[in-house]
Amino acid sequence: MDREEAKNILQLCRPGVESDLNDPLIAEAFEFLERDSELQIWFEDQQAFDAQICEQLESIKPPADLKASILAGMRAHQKIATAPEPDPDVAPEPFLHATGPSTPKEDKVISKTNKAWWRNPWVGIAALFVFMMIIINAPSRNDTQLAQNDPSLASLPAILPFLSDQIDDMTIFGFDKKDEQAHQLQTFLANSGAPSPRKLCDKLASVPTIGCVTFEFNDAKLSMICFKEGEVFHLITADAADFPEACPKQPQIYEIRDKAFKVWVEGDQLNILTIHGTKNDIPEYI
Amino acid sequence: MNTDTDLNFESIVNAYYQPLYRFGYSLAKNEHEAGDLAQQTFFIYAEKGSSLRDKSKVKSWLFTTLYREFLRRRRKEGRMDNYEPEMLEAAGGSVEPHIRRSMDANLAVEALDEVDAIYREPLNLFYLKDLSYKEIAKVLDVPIGTIMSRLSRGKAQLRDIFKRKEAETSENAL
Repeated sequence: MDREEAKNILQLCRPGVESDLNDPLIAEAFEFLERDSELQIWFEDQQAFDAQICEQLESIKPPADLKASILAGMRAHQKIATAPEPDPDVAPEPFLHATGPSTPKEDKVISKTNKAWWRNPWVGIAALFVFMMIIINAPSRNDTQLAQNDPSLASLPAILPFLSDQIDDMTIFGFDKKDEQAHQLQTFLANSGAPSPRKLCDKLASVPTIGCVTFEFNDAKLSMICFKEGEVFHLITADAADFPEACPKQPQIYEIRDKAFKVWVEGDQLNILTIHGTKNDIPEYI
Repeated sequence: MNTDTDLNFESIVNAYYQPLYRFGYSLAKNEHEAGDLAQQTFFIYAEKGSSLRDKSKVKSWLFTTLYREFLRRRRKEGRMDNYEPEMLEAAGGSVEPHIRRSMDANLAVEALDEVDAIYREPLNLFYLKDLSYKEIAKVLDVPIGTIMSRLSRGKAQLRDIFKRKEAETSENAL
């Protein structure tokens, strides 16, 4: 290690952060530092500057009610998620406890309020919020167009509005696997027991990929491979038997809000390709 | 919510709501949005955190989630492609005038805001002190070597900006 290397590594060490000192790479640079007085002067100057910046950032304080709001919101959310049938014999409590650890007495209160969640104003507010979000996000008939080929297909397959709403968030926690080659992702999906497109047309197989994720809809497994050739587009694959209402006899194209979907069946697999834009943005070779 | 979950969740909120708010603020430069990002992060944790097998990774997970939520919002606002992280690193807002006033002499926030976008998030996370450089690399989804070089270059840039701002503040005070 030379002085420049040591400098680069020592810059990773923040004043007062013990875990930095325990990092093997930084510890090695510290050994070098002990033998180099000029480097020590440089390091002290760095630490003083870092301490100044850290101190100022630490002065940013959240609003006083943020923690209480987070806890209250979460408890309301959990109550909706886990609420049993209302019990008319149990008297409701008017409010949830926003902060502070639960005592045994409070646990009883929470148990009671679980049974009477529908009388709780916080839960009511949360439920109203959820209801409004559903109304706002629900696709209107004007947003949705059944584009071509099959006039008998009067209703939109339920999976498509779901994908339209959720597809941008599918990768929020990262990909299950990242790779630039579709066949690697196909193999990965197949090996992990997820639906994997068995055959891609030659052109599509040569398009660079970003990664793949798996997810569920109505207890059915689906996989999604993300391609990027200029625009990003996604190929979703599922077992056709899991989505009989979504399987067209001929390939279908739909537009829902800002996305276009092409849906087709190949063997026993349902394939859905989606892209931001209109049906004209769907690659011609698909 | 049973008591165990309640206590567990509360201890996680206690430990991380302030760091997450600060990180949200460093990204959005907006008190309201920072609070909103922190709340949304815990909301996502309540929804999906149970699938987090390694509980020691909760901290990184929360920071990653907040960062991605921020990017998602910016992409929705600006119709940007969320698969271009470097492009999105430029998506942070500028410090609102009233925030500048309320923070008085917080030169660090203003100086960080002027650092090149590509260095800004690594530096923010570095100076917030909650994550190691390896964890920062994971949150921002870049290799460790890249984070090291961005921190090094970013710190040099920050130092120059900070000195200039200090000098300007001194001149204005005279």
